[in-house]
Amino acid sequence: MLLIHCPYCDEPRPEIEFGYAGEAHIARPINPDDLSDAEWETYLFVRTNARGRHFERWRHVHGCGRFFNAVRDTVTDTFERTYKAGVARPGEADSWTGDTGGIV
Amino acid sequence: MSAFRLPGRGRIDVARPVAFRFDGKAMTGAAGDTLASALLANGVHLVGRSFKYHRPRGLLGAGVEEPNALMGVDRGPGRHTANVRATTIELHDDLTVETQNRWPSLGFDLGAATNLLSPLFPAGFYNKTFMWPRSAWETLYEPAIRRMAGLGKAPHAIDPDRYTARHDFVDLLIVGAGRAGIEAALAASASGERVMLIDEQPELGGKLLANPARWDWLAGALTRLDDAGVVCLSRTTAIGLYHDGFVGAVERLTDHLPPATATGPRERLHRIRAARIVLATGAIERPLVFADNDRPGVMLASAARTYLHRYGVAVGKRVALMVTHDSGYQVAFDLAEAGIGIAAIVDSRPDLDPSLKARASDLGLELIPHAVVIGTHGAKAVTGITLAPLGSRQVRKIACDALLMAGGWTPTVHLWSHGKGKLGWDEALGAFVPEGEMDRVTCTGACAGAIDPGHGVHAEALWSPRDPASFKAFVDLQNDVTARDIRLAVREGFRSIEHIKRYTTNGMATDQGKTSNLNGLQVAAGALGNTAPQVGLTTFRPPYTPTTFGALAGSAKDALFQPTRKTVIDSWAHAQGAVFENVAQWRRARYFPRASEDMDAAVARECRAVRTGVGMFDASTLGKIEVVGPDAAEFLNRMYTNPWKALAPGRCRYGLLLGEDGFIRDDGVAARLADDRFHVTTTTGGAARVLGMMEDYLQTEWPDLDVWLTSTTEQYAVIALQGPRARDVIAPHVEGVDLSPEALPHMAYAEGRICGVPMRLFRVSFTGELGFEVNVPAGHGLAVWEALWAEGQRHGITAYGTETMHVLRAEKGYIIVGQDSDGTLTPDDAGIGWAVGKKKLDFVGRRSLARPDMLLPDRKQLVGLLTDDPHYVLEEGAQIVDVPNAPVPVPMIGHVTSSYHSPTLGRSIALAVVAGGRARIGETLFVPMADKTHRVTVSEPLFYDREGARLDG
Amino acid sequence: MADALLADEPVVRDGIAIAWTPPAVRYSLRTRVPSGLPRLLASARFADGHALALGPDEWLLILPDGAQPPTIAPLHALTDIGHRNVGLTVAGDRAAALIQCGCALDLSLATFPPGKVTRTLYDGVEIVLWRTGEAEFRIETWRSFAAYLHAALALAADDL
Repeated sequence: MLLIHCPYCDEPRPEIEFGYAGEAHIARPINPDDLSDAEWETYLFVRTNARGRHFERWRHVHGCGRFFNAVRDTVTDTFERTYKAGVARPGEADSWTGDTGGIV
Repeated sequence: MSAFRLPGRGRIDVARPVAFRFDGKAMTGAAGDTLASALLANGVHLVGRSFKYHRPRGLLGAGVEEPNALMGVDRGPGRHTANVRATTIELHDDLTVETQNRWPSLGFDLGAATNLLSPLFPAGFYNKTFMWPRSAWETLYEPAIRRMAGLGKAPHAIDPDRYTARHDFVDLLIVGAGRAGIEAALAASASGERVMLIDEQPELGGKLLANPARWDWLAGALTRLDDAGVVCLSRTTAIGLYHDGFVGAVERLTDHLPPATATGPRERLHRIRAARIVLATGAIERPLVFADNDRPGVMLASAARTYLHRYGVAVGKRVALMVTHDSGYQVAFDLAEAGIGIAAIVDSRPDLDPSLKARASDLGLELIPHAVVIGTHGAKAVTGITLAPLGSRQVRKIACDALLMAGGWTPTVHLWSHGKGKLGWDEALGAFVPEGEMDRVTCTGACAGAIDPGHGVHAEALWSPRDPASFKAFVDLQNDVTARDIRLAVREGFRSIEHIKRYTTNGMATDQGKTSNLNGLQVAAGALGNTAPQVGLTTFRPPYTPTTFGALAGSAKDALFQPTRKTVIDSWAHAQGAVFENVAQWRRARYFPRASEDMDAAVARECRAVRTGVGMFDASTLGKIEVVGPDAAEFLNRMYTNPWKALAPGRCRYGLLLGEDGFIRDDGVAARLADDRFHVTTTTGGAARVLGMMEDYLQTEWPDLDVWLTSTTEQYAVIALQGPRARDVIAPHVEGVDLSPEALPHMAYAEGRICGVPMRLFRVSFTGELGFEVNVPAGHGLAVWEALWAEGQRHGITAYGTETMHVLRAEKGYIIVGQDSDGTLTPDDAGIGWAVGKKKLDFVGRRSLARPDMLLPDRKQLVGLLTDDPHYVLEEGAQIVDVPNAPVPVPMIGHVTSSYHSPTLGRSIALAVVAGGRARIGETLFVPMADKTHRVTVSEPLFYDREGARLDG
Repeated sequence: MADALLADEPVVRDGIAIAWTPPAVRYSLRTRVPSGLPRLLASARFADGHALALGPDEWLLILPDGAQPPTIAPLHALTDIGHRNVGLTVAGDRAAALIQCGCALDLSLATFPPGKVTRTLYDGVEIVLWRTGEAEFRIETWRSFAAYLHAALALAADDL
């Protein structure tokens, strides 16, 4: 059973408290009508399916209730880091400063 | 005392005899014995029949590595455990065990005929032999194979035992309480950290227990650990190692006690989270692969040492040894010093350690270097061996009653491998050892390859002058896999060790390759012309040893299998004799039969009551979400298809929720309580999902909105009063609300009091009749229900359940999301396009409704179906076709989603989704069933009160 | 009116006492302005009762029975959940060990000191776990899960 660091609770918590919520950093278009059918289809259905580093969303559903983002390696199933929703997508592992953007 | 018990030796208490039954035969052992040691003390070597060939088998080992001696242990009704290793069964009074896999008896097993037919049972024989004809698999092959093979019997009765669990949190977990594990615990014991030491055996000490010279040290060390507060758990097996320092361990609490005295739970599952883990799981001695190496009496050398020192039992009176490794010598010396005859020590190596030679000479032992055992003799026990000098045909026979094998040591790396730890080949050990690093986990002692039992050589099967295809040299005793099988697999083209494993079954099942993996790998490598590290090892998977389902299930059985959610009115329904059904986790009253009524009769009566008088329904399970904040209307406007901003406080609206893909996800009625507060309802099953979806949008897409969501599903008990006389029932008890149709019309909302408690009152209907849904704080729900029930008596009030609710709503064509919709239905498909706000610029799913696919005229649309035969009720899920008796494959154009007998109409009705269905209204379609094909007429999905006149009573 | 659910006698075992809490007023308080409120995972006295911080913008208010809704100045949402939740106290030297049977959080005093509160799970049932003392916890759960939770705790207490 994984331990997942909730960026809001700021402590590691057992996996069973969390729910997976799909790929991260896919924002809902501000005005969906501006999108072509193909663009809308991409928004709805096309996902990275990464082997390795994957940006994804989790929710601490049986904890503080917050959705947040994580970088997880889909091969080793280890979490590289978690960060609050709304924080910019981090770059490569070595360039990350750990700043969570101060969003509460 | 038996002939094989050695007085004054062992940790057993011969002064405390223990009576047990083995295959029905009464025997006696001593306190501290295992079943295995007690059997040996009674001179019993034959303990089982092999899996495939039914060959007689004896004890190979003395611990969990034992592949042969699998027993059925009977502790009373429902307490039969199959496949328990005799070496791990602690002897206790009234122990009752049976051998397995033999018929009619262990000594005379008809299944042994398969051994004679063994050319028919090569590797992969299941895959090859029983393929054709296909139909014979179920009727002939599988039943026959199951009778013959299989490991043990599954119990039939319900397990009456209890199993418990707990989470443990420690700074340091040490798995294995042999020398290395105890030293690791001692080193950490002064740190003040939380240290836990677990071991699968009843006594801590590991192999030290077979080394009397270390017993004083062991006792002292355990005392120090106890004094230091180290948690030491015996009879506790670490079954798996997982991410982030998580270990599952099963503690056996009662199996070692006589059944009559065992109280409390049988096992405890420890879910251990450790900051650091030290694996001190030791090593298992490797058997050697040669012809007929499976005869009872052929054992691991280390096992003989354990039986000697720990249990005071001689494994034989004239013991031979086949060694490729120095560690066998110490066993021979110990046995000789204990007065046990040593027939010979056969060593495959030409050059032996001079000190070992000298010691053997001092003890008068015959040492035969550069030779190998090439066969064993005897029927159900070994009576002698044949050996040959390496490369020579000058065979020699030696009489013996046991043959010990010392083939080197295999570190027990199972847990390390569970954690995805890397392994490296240690040439000196001839084995894989943990390599590299793992988060939180380190290995120590023999598990880490730190073994100093001297030197040895490690080869595949021992050399033989005979044709290797002419004899059986077993690699995996439990799964009956021979070296020949593995070579055959390679000849047939298998290259990957994982494929070879599965094709031959080497190292599978309950054994997990404890004694077979390395030898199997060596044989495969030889056949492949490769080295062992190039071929690599198969993956070890949890559990390390077989684990009861009970331990994994814990308390999750019977009433605690999962929560059964009950409303506050459930006890009343139960007392009224309601028949219940499960809806999600909820238990709901399905109908309330009177006297001898069946469901149809009860539902018909309940339906009539609602249509003609008044019915009362517990709707408490409806999901409820309170949406609060200045942006509440804006938020609902974005989530739901309907417009919400103009809804006035005191009014309700039907809300339809789509996914972003445009398909219906949920629906329900919401009331505006105030400008900044809504009471939203969801389906019973959708409550948590809808709240989660709303939170997702709110937190991540629109975090700027000032609105908050709270589940209030269980805050309110909901009592639905439905029927023309509904108002009469509540009116005497309501304060502060004008119930007149003018003041409180259909889809109005009001707050007041009922029976003296606060009430949220909805004028809504899911039946088509005049209806009220009374929401009261849950703690008052039962009392209000009972008061209204009493009041309703003079109006002929009738309680109804979910089945009647379903019929009544189907008569009105109201859909149930998840029954009439299946995740591919748009609002228009469902015929509720009116609920979509045409002027709204956006809501969840709106963009998808404009996709070309969503506008096709032949989409499946909700319609009604009326059977030609008014008494026939279609089966829900039945397929609908255009043309009867068309050649297969018949194009399916839809299916029945809801189907009931309608007491109101006196005939059957159905809802269905049909391709282009609305354009087919009035047409005849067909529903083919097994008995006959039914003609149906497509209709509007509305069967009763088309004008909606009855909503006002 | 009596609440039938809360009628069971307390469960008392060696070092453990499990009892329903008396009726209470409860609100879910939501606001972005946490002034005067405890930070996430902490609890504090609040308006004759307590505020328990369950989320970054979410507090569970537990007030004495009969208490009026509290006055809160900044923009907020207050929702009545007094009947949704049911409370249990688990007290005694082995209280933490008992809860540890079904709860996957480390309840040692170092990581879960008195005053700490969080939403979590017990045997798959969502609970609010609040340590009110070294040897005393309060557990809140939704009403329909309470009987299961109570039974699971009682069985675990038997088998501890």
